[in-house]
Amino acid sequence: MDGVIESLRHSGTTAQALGVSVGGLIGVFGTLAVFFALIWIAVRIGGRS
Amino acid sequence: MGDVFIGFSSLGWQEFVMYLVGATLVWLAITKEYEPMLLLPIGFGAILVNLPLSVVWEHEGSAGFLKVLYDGGIANELFPILIFIAVGAMIDFGPLFKNPFMIFFGAAAQLGIFATMIIATLPPFGFSLKEAAAIGVIGAADGPTAIYVANKFAKGMLGPISVAAYSYMSLVPLIQPPVIRLLTTRKERRIHMAYHEAGVPRWLKVAFPIVATMIAGIVAPISVPLVGSLMFGNLIRESGVLERLSKTAQNELAYLVTLLLGITIGSSMRADTFLNVRTLMILGMGLVAFVFDTAGGVLFAKLINLFLPGDRKINPMIGACGISAFPMSGRVIQKMAAEEEKGNIILMHAIGSNVSGQLGSIIAGGMILALVPLLAK
Repeated sequence: MDGVIESLRHSGTTAQALGVSVGGLIGVFGTLAVFFALIWIAVRIGGRS
Repeated sequence: MGDVFIGFSSLGWQEFVMYLVGATLVWLAITKEYEPMLLLPIGFGAILVNLPLSVVWEHEGSAGFLKVLYDGGIANELFPILIFIAVGAMIDFGPLFKNPFMIFFGAAAQLGIFATMIIATLPPFGFSLKEAAAIGVIGAADGPTAIYVANKFAKGMLGPISVAAYSYMSLVPLIQPPVIRLLTTRKERRIHMAYHEAGVPRWLKVAFPIVATMIAGIVAPISVPLVGSLMFGNLIRESGVLERLSKTAQNELAYLVTLLLGITIGSSMRADTFLNVRTLMILGMGLVAFVFDTAGGVLFAKLINLFLPGDRKINPMIGACGISAFPMSGRVIQKMAAEEEKGNIILMHAIGSNVSGQLGSIIAGGMILALVPLLAK
């Protein structure tokens, strides 16, 4: 990961923007996927109790 | 004698253009009712700050009242944070809990942020990474996040970014429908979605804002002011024991801060910094961001539909609601669904997707705040 960041630091601005976009989208989808899993489990547990 | 007429002698054509811009915003607020709570104060603030000598900003070494408000509410990010508390108190995550899959549209519809950021760095525009990121966040369709990020990365562009963010949010009913029609067939827009009225345990509604804040804070610690204030407002709402505080946050706090925020943003529209080609580029790219947001959500829904059985297909218009313009986008999509086929009610799914957009936009803002400084030269 450090290698990717270091390489992007020395790249052009558009390549950096692409890097931020890929990382950002992964971060947003990943975080919301965790929220989804928590809600899904909580609703299932709540439904049974 | 010159001092007596200094008001006249210090006026240039740039000031008159700004009066026109301010008056247009006030006109849009009053006659078209486009986000009047914001566009009216912004428009009047733009007129105020461009009057001769700009006394409301600074005069003879002393800060004017708008500079005091700017330093105390925008420069230190207080106003966006207070707005988030108010917005959090207004949000009911119930529709999302009943259909949690909708949360992914809140991620897909952030595409516009990132697409616009890339476009802004391309040679014809040539914005720096930080500036491009601030412009891209217009696509969060979330005024406070746009202001927060612009204030961190591109203070000089705060005026045009704020105006673009709030103007396009008010124009969602005009921007989204043509993009949706372009990307979907009539058959897709007529898809019905069953809605099951399931109870949501109260403990989930109370625990969600706390757990969500903790997760977001671990993934992107810099996003905590945004997520934390939104979820604090939501916790006040859902706790069930702070009804008066919840109502205060939803009403008095929201109105008061919105009023101050609007006029203070207007004060950032000084002719010498606002009137340039970059402002026009920012306004243009803001529109691009909203178009890509809508397209991202719709195309993601169509992609998911490839894997769903016939009776469980998602109406792809729901994807467009993954933007943060709440509840406007949800209502627009319901209206479109009803126009396509009378009696097709997808409102609750649309609202579930729309509240996910609130989450998605602040997390996207947090990701940008975390990632850009790692790379920016």
